[in-house]
Order: sequence, then C-alpha cells, then structure tokens
Amino acid sequence: MIQFRNIFRLNGVAAFGFSIVAVAAPVPQRIDVQKVSTTVQNVVVPRPDEVFGALNKLGGVNWKEYVRTDRGSNFTERPRIALLLGSVIADGFIAVQAEDTPAVKEIGQRVQSLAERINVKSSITQHAKAIIEGADKKRWDNVRKELDRTQNEVQKAMDELHDEKLSQLVSLGGWLRGTEVLTAVVNKNFKEEGAELLHQPDLLMHFQGQLQEMPEFKTQTPLIDQIHGALVEVKPLIGSTQKISPEAVRKINEITTRLDSAIVTKQ
Amino acid sequence: MNGSFALLSRRSLFLAPLLALAVLARGSVDDAQSFALQAAEPYVKEGFQVREDYWGGDLGAAEKKAVRQQLFKGNEYWFWLGTEVERAKISVHIYDAEGKLAEEPDSWQKGHFAAAHIIPKATGSYFIIVAVEESPEERTHWALVYGFR
Repeated sequence: MIQFRNIFRLNGVAAFGFSIVAVAAPVPQRIDVQKVSTTVQNVVVPRPDEVFGALNKLGGVNWKEYVRTDRGSNFTERPRIALLLGSVIADGFIAVQAEDTPAVKEIGQRVQSLAERINVKSSITQHAKAIIEGADKKRWDNVRKELDRTQNEVQKAMDELHDEKLSQLVSLGGWLRGTEVLTAVVNKNFKEEGAELLHQPDLLMHFQGQLQEMPEFKTQTPLIDQIHGALVEVKPLIGSTQKISPEAVRKINEITTRLDSAIVTKQ
Repeated sequence: MNGSFALLSRRSLFLAPLLALAVLARGSVDDAQSFALQAAEPYVKEGFQVREDYWGGDLGAAEKKAVRQQLFKGNEYWFWLGTEVERAKISVHIYDAEGKLAEEPDSWQKGHFAAAHIIPKATGSYFIIVAVEESPEERTHWALVYGFR
C-alpha cells in the first residue's frame, strides 16, 4: 500500500486542480438494496474518533475522565495481546481527545511493547515515535493520523503473516473500548442524538461473523467466546429501527465495560 | 496500467508467471489508491482526516460494486474514488440503508477521479456504489478512500 505521506511527497507542491464538474450521467435516485447487498464488500471499522467527534458536537465532553493509561496485564496468548492492542490504540484516541500529552506518550510506548510481543514491532516503530513527538508538540491531528497508521500497519503486518484473525481482534478490541466510552458519555448525560450513535447493526454482524470463524481461539482463549456471546446480547439493543433508550445505553455500557475489563485484566 | 505491465513484464522475465500476476494485481490497486488519495488531498487542507484503510478491486466497463459503511450523524464525509487508467470514466454515489440517494449535490466526477459527499441525516449503514462507466481496459483497478470531519 502506498502511504498517504508518500503521496504528498510524490505530488510535491503541485496542487491538484480539480474543478467541480457536473455529473454527466443522471444518477439513479434509488437502488434496490436487496440486490446490492449480495455483492457488498467488507466494512471498514470506523476509527474511535469518528464517533467521538460526532459526540463532541452534541456538547462538551470531559474526555479527561475517560483517559486510561494502566499498563494492563502481560499476556502471552496472541489473541489476548491483539485484543489489548486494539483497546490501547482506542485509549490513544481518547487521550488525544483529552489533549493529555503524558497519557498519549505512555500509550505510544505501550503500543510498541505490545506490538513487539506479537512480532510486528518493526512495522510501527516510526509511527510510535511520531505519536510521542506529536504529543510533545501538541499536534493532535498528527497524533490521530499516526494512531490510525499504527493500527493499519500492525494489521497489515499481521495479514502478511497470515494472522488475519488476530488483525480482526485488534479492530474488535478497539471497537469495544470505543463503545464502552461512547456509552459511558451518553449514559452520564443522556441525549437521543448521542444514543443514536450506537446504531451500528452491520458492524455488530461483521464482528459476529468474524468471531464465528475463530473456533480455535475460542478454545484457547475463553474470553473470545465470552465476547461472541455478549455481542448476541448487544445486537437487539442497537439493531432495531426504534430509538435507543437510556436503559439500552446503560445495558450496553455494562456489557462493554465487563468485556473491556476482561481484555485488560488477567483472569 | 499498460505501462506498468510492460515494465513489470520486463523485470519479471524469470519469475513464475503466477508470482508476476500477483505482484501486478497488488501494484495496480495501490496505484489506484494513490489517485484516490490525490483526489482527497485538497480536502485535507479543509480539515478532513483521511483514513488509512481503503477498499479496492477491479471491475469491467459498466460494472458496479457496493461498499457498505457505518456513518455517524454529526460528521461530514467525503468518499474519493480513483483509478490509474487515465482514459477510464468512474463514478461513486452514496445511498442510505433504504436505497435512497443520500449524497450532497457537490459530489463530482471527472474522468478517472470521482468523489461523493455526505452529511448523514441518521447514524447507520450506507451503501457506497462505485462504478467503472467506461474504460479501454478489460478490467480496471479502483480504490476508494474516505475522510471525515
């Protein structure tokens, strides 16, 4: 994959002179969703700050309350390290929201240490350094970009090592931590628009489908099976077209807090 | 793409054909991604954060592909589509979960670049439809990136 940073270098200062052009062919106003659904490509899991950004626009959030820098347990099982890595990267996005320099730096180091334990450290060293430098200079957008690059590079390295399932667990760990914090924020000051951000039925199906294909991990790591079971509980709470109630938010928060706590703690 | 293929073929004379094809396929989608990112570049200056993840593949002329993506109300998104086939004409459009066109009128299409803009009215899944409308190639590589603010 050609990295975004390299593209800028390739293009130099030659600004790309797009002029806005009218669409030539008429655009269909409707499509047959049933027909389209059969050829659909995989979803890209949203970055935690996509949802945090939307949440921020609903009113000030005291992100410092949600910053976590615990070093967590030292696991040896690769699936657990992958889940934890996803969760720690999500913590990085939370610390960036809070503009907490020491927390971001600590998380940058933690990410490096976890990546080392699953043999993908070399692919992220420069990004981890950039996270720490960005935090020092309080260039928060750069830190966000580097956190995204870190996760992308870790997952790419895992895919290249035929560890695609571990790569999926990184995304899942991040989504669970992001959802835990989203529900905590909404729970504290309930707004319908905030609760609506939990309406993510396809993402839930995406993760359930992936967990279904990990029987070997479920045997080796019971937590994977627990997460799979918990997602079944969450699905009816966020999957319907009905508005998401304060009770549903509270319930999802309980579930994701329990799961995330299990991800970071040795059981 | 022909140029890249010629270059790759010259360099790959002694490689197994299968390996060469695999390298070619990877390279071309990466090339398409570089064009998609080129389309995104002016928007970065406007505060859009472009994701590292992207979708890619190849399509024949007049073929379409759907991508389903979770979008959040409150954010603003652009999806940028690119291909390295300069004489191709490609398009990208966004529909909501019911199949209704949901993009803003400033979405655009220009030869081997296209972009669609959405300010979601609801949080949920959306369909992004990419199409190769015309192309001199039998198969045209494409890549779709997105950004949000």
